[in-house]
Amino acid sequence: MSTSSVELPPKGGFSFDLCKRNEMLAKKGANPPSFRKTGTTIVGLIFQDGVILGADTRATAGSIVCDKNCEKIHYMAPNIYCCGAGTAADTEAVTDMVNSQLQLHRYHTGRESRVVTALTLLKSHLFKYQGHVQAALVLGGVDVTGPHLHTIYPHGSTDTLPFATMGSGSLAAMAVFESKYREGLSKEEGINLVCEAICAGIFNDLGSGSNVDLCVITKGHKEYLRNYQVPNHRAHISSKGFTFPKKTEVLLTKITPLDEKVEVIEAGDAMEE
Amino acid sequence: MGDSQYSFSLTTFSPSGKLVQIEHALTAVGSGQTSLGIKAANGVVIATEKKLPSILVDETSVQKIQCMTPNIGVVYSGMGPDFRVLVRKSRKQAEQYHRLYKEPIPVTQLVRETAAVMQEFTQSGGVRPFGVSLLVAGYDDKGPQLYQVDPSGSYFSWKASAMGKNVSNAKTFLEKRYTDDMELDDAVHTAILTLKEGFEGQISGKNIEIGIIGADKNFRVLTPNEIEDYLAEVE
Repeated sequence: MSTSSVELPPKGGFSFDLCKRNEMLAKKGANPPSFRKTGTTIVGLIFQDGVILGADTRATAGSIVCDKNCEKIHYMAPNIYCCGAGTAADTEAVTDMVNSQLQLHRYHTGRESRVVTALTLLKSHLFKYQGHVQAALVLGGVDVTGPHLHTIYPHGSTDTLPFATMGSGSLAAMAVFESKYREGLSKEEGINLVCEAICAGIFNDLGSGSNVDLCVITKGHKEYLRNYQVPNHRAHISSKGFTFPKKTEVLLTKITPLDEKVEVIEAGDAMEE
Repeated sequence: MGDSQYSFSLTTFSPSGKLVQIEHALTAVGSGQTSLGIKAANGVVIATEKKLPSILVDETSVQKIQCMTPNIGVVYSGMGPDFRVLVRKSRKQAEQYHRLYKEPIPVTQLVRETAAVMQEFTQSGGVRPFGVSLLVAGYDDKGPQLYQVDPSGSYFSWKASAMGKNVSNAKTFLEKRYTDDMELDDAVHTAILTLKEGFEGQISGKNIEIGIIGADKNFRVLTPNEIEDYLAEVE
């Protein structure tokens, strides 16, 4: 019996073939590619008629901006929206899943969804995954019981607040809110305050940037204002293109034709039946 | 009946090649309240009788026509509780399809999945078939569509159909009255007249239910007042 080992195809499941190589690379200092995080400034506040949510639009992968104009304000229900910070895939998947569940719930009950329902569905899911689903959310909406604003942390804890900020730019935005927020703001004042807070995050935090997205939710009405403010408008390169001042001089021309090599194939046997 | 020895077990064929339990399920459907559907050129209408067992029942709490997605609605003949379970399952399937493909589920797909559920219950141990036949009305990219799904899990596309107690009279009436280029309003009038044919007692906005879907792809159930308006037009 020969003792040569036969290459068997993998039976399925995780293949550990590359783990040694990865370990070796890590020891030599090569970093594995990072996943896309949203860095981010997201805010929400309650004004006299409802809730205003705001977000920046920069998505980062490590120190590279991978999306200059992404959407961080996610639809949950006709009267509820959610801003997401953290790992982009996690925030999108979790808000999409709860959106689906809320839709089914609306069919069964025949009623408008409540913000606390969305809150409970989100926090139960995040708690179940013990913080591995890295989604930090600002949830806001107006339902029969009035306007509500909540923050949800990746481990599943929540806060109910009149104004809230999350993400890497949250401190810059919170500084603006703490100094200028008061109860009973009008819609104009609320929008201006939210824009100021997001801009504070955009200009002072590296993880946030580009434009300001807003969502204003009132009883029975919502306005999704995509790119409400564009403080970092990118001026494009001139359409004339570049001109080079000095032309390249031709010093020598040498043409070598390649030998033609043609193989003549005799009419081969017809394919066997 | 010679088949009676085989009529208790659902998963056993009788010598004549029938599954007797399904035949019985169809009988249950046939003794349910009449319902019908008509496909017009620019929409679909489904309607049913809503005869309540006593005048003490609050008729606003009963809704026989349900919507499964914003552009697909359904009505039944037969056992109400079985209908509720099917609608719940179908809604979930429609939502799962939407999550997977990010498109609203086409009418044929939803009908197929609902029919598959009904068929499962004809080939499993310890369960009985659903005692309902469904009329599914929808409007998607392929235009207006009307499907009937039976307890056996078979489904058919119809231009106009009826089920329940008064099925033969209703179908004859529809055959005479149906035209391919009917508009949605005409279809509603025809539906009301068909229901009126076999209706015992005084027909009104409170003892029939009508659901329509037009080119706006929004399924909705008419309010009793709207039904009264249509009834007045028909008189």
